[in-house]
Amino acid sequence: MRATRSSWVALLAGLCLAGGTWLVLPEPPRPALAHKEPHTSEQLKLFQDLFMEQVGIGDLLFHGDAETERRLGVTLSKTGWACAMCHPYASDTHPAQFPKWQEQMSKFATLRDMINWCIEKPNEGEAIDPDGPAMKALEAYITWSNRNSPLQPGVH
Amino acid sequence: MSLDHHHDEHGDKLLGSDDFQQARREMRRVLWRPGLRADTQVSITRRIFIHRALLGGTAAAAATAGWLPRINTMDMAFAQEAGPPSTFRFAWISDTHLYPKEVNTRFVEKAVRAVNDVKAMDPPPDFLIFGGDLAQLGDPVELKLGAEIINELDVRKVFIPGEHDWYLDMGKTWNELFGTSPWTFDHKGVRFIGLDTVSRAMDFWTARNMTPTERMAAMATLDGALGGAWAGLGREQLDFLDRTLSDWGTDRPVVIFSHNPLYEYYPPWNFWVRDWREVHEIVKPYTKITNIHGHTHQVLYNEIGAMRSIGMLATSWPWPYAPEGVPKLTRPMLRVDPGDPFDGVGWGQITFNADNQHVEHEYMMWRKDILATSQVDSGTGDNPTTFLSPRPDGR
Repeated sequence: MRATRSSWVALLAGLCLAGGTWLVLPEPPRPALAHKEPHTSEQLKLFQDLFMEQVGIGDLLFHGDAETERRLGVTLSKTGWACAMCHPYASDTHPAQFPKWQEQMSKFATLRDMINWCIEKPNEGEAIDPDGPAMKALEAYITWSNRNSPLQPGVH
Repeated sequence: MSLDHHHDEHGDKLLGSDDFQQARREMRRVLWRPGLRADTQVSITRRIFIHRALLGGTAAAAATAGWLPRINTMDMAFAQEAGPPSTFRFAWISDTHLYPKEVNTRFVEKAVRAVNDVKAMDPPPDFLIFGGDLAQLGDPVELKLGAEIINELDVRKVFIPGEHDWYLDMGKTWNELFGTSPWTFDHKGVRFIGLDTVSRAMDFWTARNMTPTERMAAMATLDGALGGAWAGLGREQLDFLDRTLSDWGTDRPVVIFSHNPLYEYYPPWNFWVRDWREVHEIVKPYTKITNIHGHTHQVLYNEIGAMRSIGMLATSWPWPYAPEGVPKLTRPMLRVDPGDPFDGVGWGQITFNADNQHVEHEYMMWRKDILATSQVDSGTGDNPTTFLSPRPDGR
């Protein structure tokens, strides 16, 4: 009986604290009207242009463009080898199959893991930031090039 | 599951989908100029041929139609040869793609390994054919390095160029070091012909004010669109082929060496010559004709009319099979381990056997198993569900 009374006291105290916190904390910033108003055709074009800009950068990186590598501060290869030399049209990159078990790494891997494996092993380059701009651009190019392939998660 | 991806139900569905057809039209619009479409009148035959597979030193018969065995035996007889025919062998090396040594020693090591393998052939080959793409960027340093490596071989050597050898100085260094193409010679009852399929690209560089280095870089990009449909023989070479065959009996053996395949496999990567229809018109009367080609860096076999076509390995690296157009007669090679620089590559050994009057080709790949036995392990295994698109902005 005594234990039950203590529980009620603890619950009341918790509620008071939570309420107080709610009153004190500032309101989080709201996204700038995202999805609140219909998109204009200009907006949609802008989104697509921004995406294709990344595809273009990824294409340059994928094809060993030294200037783009320098600008983004990455070294994708030290052998003269470029990604496209084994993957013309981003073939055999299989973005639609990741994440999956990847034999070479003996781990459950993402496409980004695989990109870095290729950079480090066959290309003997330096692994890039998995969340950095070079990785995002490479991912954009690879997925765009394979956009007509169906999703096949986990397929070897 | 069927290995023939054209019979894959899921693949058929996707091949017929609007998205895929759209991508295909886009690809054709970008790369295929008018008049360069495949001739649907040309029939692709599925002739039955004798073949054997060698496993652990024991010959085992494997008569699966449409599957190219490790040893491909072809009926190229020496019937009209004066005097008794004699057995001889020759070797093929191509696609070494050498960089200067300080950039990349891996490709050098692999070229040297192939040359050492040929050197160890016993009895030695009657000659070596180098099938093009000795260099990566046409640099005289690369070409001279290649000459040095190949000159270690103390046998007759003949050469045909690849696009990587050509477009820095438009073949100047190549021709100085290795002589001009086309050429022909007869050897022990076989007429050999070497063609240049690379030097006749349409001029895309002058109007763009490109430097020789930029031109070479564009040509060295397999999936680049700037070079367009650059692979071809041109009128004079077609005439040369016609003239060269005109005094040779139509039932006598002919071997044609070319860098690019002499049929249409995948034009966007120049896995063809644009005037292949004319080539087939010329060779049509010949019943024992074989094309041996490089450029595609993979196990490949095809027959069109009477002409058999064998795709050879690179020493440098393997290309993936193109997403479409792989000949149905090709038994695909195993998928490759990208972590092993010596996987999926090698050279070729061809034997003219006087006893049974056959020509046998052997892929000298540096691994135990070469050909796939199931789709999941095949280099074409992903083709049914992979649909690629040309690069953005017509690059």
